[in-house]
Amino acid sequence: MGPGLAGYILRRLLWAIPVLFIISVLVFVMLRMAPGDPAETILGNRFDEEQADVLRRKYGYDQPLTVQYAKYMWNLAHLDLGVSVKYRDFTVTEVILPKLWVSSRLGILALLISFGLGIPVGVYAALARGTFLDPLTISSWLLLDAIPPYVLIPLVQWALVLKLKLFGLGWDGFLSANMILPVLVMGLPGVAGVARLMRASVIGVLNEDYIRTARAKGLREQTIIVSHITRNALLPMVTVIGLSLPGVAAGALFVETLFGIPGIGQLSLEAVQLPDFDVVLALILFGSASFVLANVVIDVAYAFIDPRVRVGGARG
Amino acid sequence: MAIAESTAVLTSPEMTRRPRWPALRALARKKLALVALAYLLLFYAVGLAAPLVAPYDPNDQNIRAGETRQGPSSEHWLGTDSLGRDLLSRVIYSARTTVLFTIVVVVTGGFFLGLGLGLLAGYRGGWVDTAIMRVGEILGGLPTLILILAITAAFRTRITDLAYWFEDHTWVSFSEAKTFLKFTIIAGATVPFAWVGSARIVRSQALAIRELAYVTAAEAMGASTWRVIGRHILPGVMPLFIVGLSGSMAGMAGAEVSLSYLGLGIDPPAASFGSLISEAGFIRTFQQYPHLLLGAATPVVLFFYAWNLLGDALVDVLEPRLNLR
Repeated sequence: MGPGLAGYILRRLLWAIPVLFIISVLVFVMLRMAPGDPAETILGNRFDEEQADVLRRKYGYDQPLTVQYAKYMWNLAHLDLGVSVKYRDFTVTEVILPKLWVSSRLGILALLISFGLGIPVGVYAALARGTFLDPLTISSWLLLDAIPPYVLIPLVQWALVLKLKLFGLGWDGFLSANMILPVLVMGLPGVAGVARLMRASVIGVLNEDYIRTARAKGLREQTIIVSHITRNALLPMVTVIGLSLPGVAAGALFVETLFGIPGIGQLSLEAVQLPDFDVVLALILFGSASFVLANVVIDVAYAFIDPRVRVGGARG
Repeated sequence: MAIAESTAVLTSPEMTRRPRWPALRALARKKLALVALAYLLLFYAVGLAAPLVAPYDPNDQNIRAGETRQGPSSEHWLGTDSLGRDLLSRVIYSARTTVLFTIVVVVTGGFFLGLGLGLLAGYRGGWVDTAIMRVGEILGGLPTLILILAITAAFRTRITDLAYWFEDHTWVSFSEAKTFLKFTIIAGATVPFAWVGSARIVRSQALAIRELAYVTAAEAMGASTWRVIGRHILPGVMPLFIVGLSGSMAGMAGAEVSLSYLGLGIDPPAASFGSLISEAGFIRTFQQYPHLLLGAATPVVLFFYAWNLLGDALVDVLEPRLNLR
């Protein structure tokens, strides 16, 4: 890792700052300009103008937007994300962190399933190209991908929980047998997308000269598939893996809601419906930041793997 | 004599002409993709002709004992829902919602913004390109789902006031206006995020084609910008644009269904697959009346599936031109 790479990483990170700044302004203005205000939400049915004014003054909603934004950013710089409307005694950070811990573990396990199965399935389909097994494999996984979670979940809950009594239901802590079903429901539909990309990538590698060389050397077919074809075909998957990481932190709205898992997805829906302004804002900013960061990580990973990327400078 | 005949055959226009639609021919060899295409055509036809095709009025309630939540019969092919409404008719009107939504999003987000901005960025280059792509980068970096939820939830609170305004000032009725506004909100929340992917594909293709000799030649002969884009760049861009679009169709249609499922999209009395599924998807309801969920979910799942299959087949057909990064 020479000075070139360090400079490249620095350039990418510096570019992330204006992007995040613009996103934060846009989202802040949109949420504050939208109809309704936090004082109305807090008071709900007990709304009266005097109390609302007290609350507006207390939380600074009566000030101009620019002042509100500056204050928000100042607090953000001190890791203070505001106060939740629903969980009045907790700061936004205290509300989000435990749920983030649940969602990220759930998401990582689901990703492991998607990629752990998707990569071999893709290699298999590519090697079976020209036979009926290739379209059959891909199209069966695509069917699973086409079923939205809110259709799939009642079906599997009925079949596997009520009829076959294979799994239990209900939140019983993350490390419990009840989490097996949610992880599967979240991970298995993702196999199709990974398998499709992996298949295309393998087909691209199959025509390379070094594969012919390996065959000509008389290497065993298994060795060629594992260490020549699959290893090289995995390179484009760096982008795919990198781009799925921010989704992990965003949580799975339907899986979490329908299985009663206290994660970020469930919190998002709850916060949006109230609306719990500071929580929504924090979730969106956090989501954007992790996306921008993931992109930087992907670029750096490529620069690390492929030195040619560094020379050209930042990619559009 | 024999030689003359054979040359005649060889030079006949049918033999030497390049096949007109090589991609379509390759697609025709894929049977599964053809079945998917046929299903999609049927779905769109039924959706557009919903008032003619539906056996009953989708809002006709019948809550007499025995009339609600009937199983499938010759009178009601998919049975009836909890208010005794004919489920098949509600499914057909839901298809109409899905069809209209995808058309609106594809025309505005796909063609107008995706294709238009992509062509502009790729052909003009310079600051136009930078501006469009930077906006795309920012939009692409936002967590779409929660933003769409936040936008729809925020604007829904103003629907009733606006619907009264429509009732007073136009010929539209109150409930029609409400449905129209809900439709506008979910389309308006989805479109800003729907164009970025296709614009990127179109831009990179346009950039490559712009450098080709025939484009330079056309420019040298004094062709206008619009002529160069329309006659020379657009045809080269279209195949990949269509691949990208068909691959993202299930996701776009899914946005409406998901929002309606959450009660943030099209809700009763207007029909949407999302609200039909959410009503039928409670585990206890499903246990007793499985036909409600199966009847509502199967058509729309097959719709998503058909778009996925078609998108997959199109990628394969046009694969030689695809440059996997």
